[in-house]
Amino acid sequence: MLRRALLLGLGRGPLGRGLGTHRGGSTLDWDGKVSEIKKKIQSILPGGTWDPLYDTSYLPPERADVVIVGGGVLGLSVAYWLKKLEKPRGAIRVLVVERDHTYSRASTVLSVGGIRQQFSVPENVQLSLFSIDFLRNINEYLAVVDDPPLDIQFNPSGYLLLASEKGAAIMENNVKVQRQEGAKVSLMSPEQLRNKFPWINTEGVALASYGMEQEGWFDPWSLLQGLRRKVQSMGVLFCHGEVTRFVSSSNHVETASGEKVNLKRIHEVHVKIDQSLEYQPVECAIVINAAGAWSGQVAELAGIGKGPPGTLQGTKLPVELRKRYVYLWHCPQGPGLETPFVIDPSGTYFRREGLGQNYLGGCSPTEEEEPDPGNLEVDHDFFQDRVWPTLAQRVPAFESLKVRSAWAGYYDYNTFDQNGVVGPHPLVLNMYFATGFSGHGLQQAPAVGRAVAEMVLEGHFKTINLSSFLFSRFYLGEKVQEHNII
Amino acid sequence: MLKIIIPTTMLIPLTWLSKPNMIWINSTTHSLLISLISLSYLNQFSDNSLNFSLLFFSDPLSAPLLALTTWLLPLMLTASQNHLSKETIARKKLYITMLTLLQLFLIMTFTATELIMFYILFEATLAPTLIIITRWGNQTERLNAGLYFLFYTLVGSLPLLIALLYIQNTTGSLNFLIAQYWVKPISTTWSNIFLWLACMMAFMVKMPLYGLHLWLPKAHVEAPIAGSMVLAAVLLKLGGYGMMRITVLLNPLTGQMAYPFLMLSLWGMIMTSSICLRQTDLKSLIAYSSVSHMALVIVAVLIQTPWSYMGATALMIAHGLTSSMLFCLANSNYERVHSRTMILARGLQTLLPLMAAWWLLASLANLALPPTINLLGELFVMMASFSWSNTTIALMGTNIIITALYSLYMLITTLRGKQTDHVKNIKPSFTRENALMALHLLPLLLLSLNPKIVLGPIH
Repeated sequence: MLRRALLLGLGRGPLGRGLGTHRGGSTLDWDGKVSEIKKKIQSILPGGTWDPLYDTSYLPPERADVVIVGGGVLGLSVAYWLKKLEKPRGAIRVLVVERDHTYSRASTVLSVGGIRQQFSVPENVQLSLFSIDFLRNINEYLAVVDDPPLDIQFNPSGYLLLASEKGAAIMENNVKVQRQEGAKVSLMSPEQLRNKFPWINTEGVALASYGMEQEGWFDPWSLLQGLRRKVQSMGVLFCHGEVTRFVSSSNHVETASGEKVNLKRIHEVHVKIDQSLEYQPVECAIVINAAGAWSGQVAELAGIGKGPPGTLQGTKLPVELRKRYVYLWHCPQGPGLETPFVIDPSGTYFRREGLGQNYLGGCSPTEEEEPDPGNLEVDHDFFQDRVWPTLAQRVPAFESLKVRSAWAGYYDYNTFDQNGVVGPHPLVLNMYFATGFSGHGLQQAPAVGRAVAEMVLEGHFKTINLSSFLFSRFYLGEKVQEHNII
Repeated sequence: MLKIIIPTTMLIPLTWLSKPNMIWINSTTHSLLISLISLSYLNQFSDNSLNFSLLFFSDPLSAPLLALTTWLLPLMLTASQNHLSKETIARKKLYITMLTLLQLFLIMTFTATELIMFYILFEATLAPTLIIITRWGNQTERLNAGLYFLFYTLVGSLPLLIALLYIQNTTGSLNFLIAQYWVKPISTTWSNIFLWLACMMAFMVKMPLYGLHLWLPKAHVEAPIAGSMVLAAVLLKLGGYGMMRITVLLNPLTGQMAYPFLMLSLWGMIMTSSICLRQTDLKSLIAYSSVSHMALVIVAVLIQTPWSYMGATALMIAHGLTSSMLFCLANSNYERVHSRTMILARGLQTLLPLMAAWWLLASLANLALPPTINLLGELFVMMASFSWSNTTIALMGTNIIITALYSLYMLITTLRGKQTDHVKNIKPSFTRENALMALHLLPLLLLSLNPKIVLGPIH
């Protein structure tokens, strides 16, 4: 209080100083005062942005080349790769619009943070392989001058997927695909499983696949902060606001088969500032939809899906919010430090958290018992009824455990085939998607960011071919079904 | 002269009293008619100048510039229609009024006899330009750009006022036609050196000279299309024209004083061309290429030989038309993609083939392809500077190569290659845009058939 009064007094110049009430010169914030004066002079001199009437530094710029809606790990990854892959440095102006700077509801920070290559779709395996390479060498990619190196606390403990009799054949196929792409996965019989992990009860397990390297879990918050720091140092602009409107123009075009379609082009993005009615129209050339669980709403703003159902015009972006619970419990007699990320055939999963015999885990509810995604309240009965029985059955030591805490997070759930949507929309030509990863977005974020950046800058995928993940598959009905979804 | 000034002044009530759906048609047609009147002045039939009155005269130097100025107004109005379409009627009329006012001041500047009148109108052109840049420009940086533009030009030209008043006091008259006969050679004293500097600095800043060119990329990039066009095509030539007029009064001091500015221009020519190779913003590239071309004009005016004056005049007209056309092309891109970054809008040749043809012709004119008058100007200046000093040929040659490099770089990046995905649904070229490009190119190509119109008073 006193300090602020002193600073105010100093700011008023000779009048403040003339009243001379400060004894003890150590309370004078000399450095702060000098920097304030410097800032004032800089704002007047014709060097920087000059706002003669009032401070508008919280508003986004009036024009940006690329506007990324959503500042989670996918949005920041796209921003990073756009800045890294642009040919002349500093060519593109990128704006990331994020409406919640505390990331309180973002899927990134509420995620369990696992990364695995054990997918059934080859593109998913490739994406995870590149991402783990990125994460392992994260300080080569995301190093910022004069800042401490990043530590994402990667625990390379691997994933252990268990399969029952019915799923054993599918698992073998999947492992073959994974090995072809270069993942190191080993298949284990129940015997080998008991030998390696004595705490497992192998009843009902016919086959298990264990990822031997490059799988595990890490801290998503440090990845997010590392990306944010690096991306800011590369010159990406951030804005704390919400996208409320797209101003676009459309052309009526007839396709070769005579169908009339409406080609749209987004000209402006209206960004509404948090807790205020003020909005800023940002003129842009490209919009990237990386809004995570809310991508469906953002797509509707752009007019995607407004048309007769069954046509390309009327195909919506099938990404919706799904709430998932994560529980943290303590079990003193639990499995040891070698515990991988175990996924039960029933869908229950758990992993070790830290070194104090704590474990994280949960289960995806079935379609009928989907919780209401309106809020992030945790349902503890779900743990009692659904998760604990299967846990206790798989790992007998978990019969006595104590739940320490729990939280809920959103999946950006792709109701069509639970795999990501990447690339441009066929009709709204300057909206690109990087969303819909249904729970495995965090682990594929670096690779997906690079793919979208390549699509924007070059026009085609250069390193990993994600053409099967384009939006047009929703209209053509070609599902890229992923079998190993948790 | 009144037959141009009064119609131009009357364009203002014309716009304010027109019906809303006729403002563009009325103003464009009438300004086109005015430009046809000014073409009659190109017929200069004596060695001396064509004197209209005590206040106005035109000679073979100012007549082509006058024709360029009046020709540009309909083109500016045609180019502005799209980005003003969302404004209110009053704003549109205000914009046209600003442009007309600017046109009026420019016409009077180019034909002024009294140097003080020239100075007053020279300064007066700043006001409408500043209003156009800061009110209708595209981004927040335009305030900064307006500030730079205003203060660079003002600080450069205030000494000119003092110098002109001094010359009026000593010589007795600032009427240009008289002064050129009454001028006495000035000796190399300190006060004369300052007089020389005071006279020349205003025009050096306007041209702009390499060290004082900081305002130009900002102003050109942030201005709306009509602002960029008039800045590049005409306002820069004010500097060249002023320099050519004022050096008459400053002999033989120019022979010694010109050295540092010649060096700066020669070096700056190469530097700004090289910067063009690294630009990511299309308008910024064209702005820097303007600096590079104008540096040639500065070199030409400062070495003061007949051939260099011919080259300077030709280069000014040629650059005016070419630069304005390039800005119009860049603007047509910007209106479609809403971004000025070159790499985001590529491969446009397959989408807009006729626009690609205009791009090609404009870029070829920019890199001084024979037989355009761009080449004529550059060649004359090169030969004159070679005779002034043999070494300059190396620098001029380097500049020509780099100019070709960046013009072709601009062409290839915007037209060739694979299209980026998000430009596939841009609107096709409007007739208005095609007409705009054709009207820019037609005088340029016709002049290459009869260049002696633009070769200035020496020819």
